[in-house]
Amino acid sequence: MIFHDKRCIPKSRGPGIICAALWLLTTTTASAESRQEMLFFTSVDTFDSFSESDPGVEDAFVRGTLDLLYSYSTDRFRFLAEYLLSSDEAELERLKAGWAWRDNAMLWFGRTHTTSKHWTSEYHHGQYLQTSITRPSLEEWEDESGPIPSHVTGLSLDVRHELADGASLNYVIGAGMAPSFGSEGLEAFDVLDPRSGNGLSVNFKLAYRPRAFEPLQFGVISAINEMDVESESSPALADLRQIDQFTIGVFVDWQWKKLRLISSFVHLDNDLEYVDETVNDSFDLGYVQLEYQPNDDITLFGRSDNGFGEDWSPYLRLLPAFISHRHMLGLRWDFADTHALTVEIADTAQQSDAGDHEYFKEWRLQWSAVF
Amino acid sequence: MPGLRHILLLTAAFVLLPCNARAERQVVLVTGDSCPVREVSSLDVRKAYLGVTVSVDGRRLRPIRLIGDEMLSSIFYQSVVHMSRKSYERRALSLALKYGTPRLEMVDSVDDAAQAVRGRECGVVYMWKDDVDRLSGIKTVRLLWQGE
Repeated sequence: MIFHDKRCIPKSRGPGIICAALWLLTTTTASAESRQEMLFFTSVDTFDSFSESDPGVEDAFVRGTLDLLYSYSTDRFRFLAEYLLSSDEAELERLKAGWAWRDNAMLWFGRTHTTSKHWTSEYHHGQYLQTSITRPSLEEWEDESGPIPSHVTGLSLDVRHELADGASLNYVIGAGMAPSFGSEGLEAFDVLDPRSGNGLSVNFKLAYRPRAFEPLQFGVISAINEMDVESESSPALADLRQIDQFTIGVFVDWQWKKLRLISSFVHLDNDLEYVDETVNDSFDLGYVQLEYQPNDDITLFGRSDNGFGEDWSPYLRLLPAFISHRHMLGLRWDFADTHALTVEIADTAQQSDAGDHEYFKEWRLQWSAVF
Repeated sequence: MPGLRHILLLTAAFVLLPCNARAERQVVLVTGDSCPVREVSSLDVRKAYLGVTVSVDGRRLRPIRLIGDEMLSSIFYQSVVHMSRKSYERRALSLALKYGTPRLEMVDSVDDAAQAVRGRECGVVYMWKDDVDRLSGIKTVRLLWQGE
């Protein structure tokens, strides 16, 4: 059993607590049947863009990504760790332990992805499982100028009810440490540095599935996030102390024969608490992605990411790289069981910090796979 | 002419009997003799193979997939989980990604399948009924499919 390995002995307190908890849980559940699983979600992306606002601006990159997922399960206990390694970053994305006190209910503890963002809670970092290369801007990660926290460290309760007509109702409620806000935008709570100060996040998702075991679902998502501001990290944040964010939205994932619709719209209400005043800022963000699958291997898709009332948002001006509008078309080819090649072209508007938008066109090509 | 009638009937029987024998294939769900479960509903079989925890008579079912037989696998996708192969495999990956739900244990041969269910408390696996008849220590708990 890997958690008995001496390499688990930590150098700092954070991992030590995690290792001890895992050792305790895995040994106390040793009598139950256990299973382990390791998955590698991998992808290579190329990206190129040309700015309309400033024709001299050109950007391009090639990025390789490996998302490593490990899970350990017994009848009542589960452990999951997700570690992302790319040419840009290396980060422990999720680290959580769960206890199922009955068959359809699980209590999780640890660092998780928020449930209040539908795409995020469905695909996490499993690039191969999402049809498109890009994520909707509403669903972007903290370090990609995402406007809503993606990572929460604390407790979450996941319960599924089977209804009499073959439908099911699933609700997830989580509470824990929210990200803070620094010079680069949101910064997730560092599970390996528990002494860093962070506010509270409470997030919620309610999903209804008309047929319990099929992907069709729709529902409501909501969150309350208190984000402490690292005022000293940037002159733009000097007088800002805290951002209180409330979000509420809806989502749908619907399939009809060869067509699929995945969409979410969220209302954001932010209170920016400066030293001498509180500025209220509210706007809406959403996306609609439509997919057409003429056969098992080919998928044509398009997505429109839009903001409503966000143009002069003081909150989004703190996130100048946020993509407020993207209109995208793409084609995906699935081959060899678990490989895919995807191409996307898009007309994109970035928020920018000057109140107007930075327009550019982009194209992307990606190979993704899972092993 | 009774003699001619008998000859015609016998000829017809010789022609039809092998056809009927080929037509009557069945796929069943089996578990080990030591498992007290006597019958599992179709819905519970489907749920178990879709990664949902299923308990019958207080015993948790532990599904195993037999993947060595292409026709058996096709019947599994169409008649047990009611999904295309691709949709089923994606669902298994999605559950692993979202919840850490381990994908089901897979075996290649009937003998390995029988050994696996005998070795696990209420392990269940689907196989041809013809194979069940020649194996010991396992019992049928559900007829899953019948046809040509």
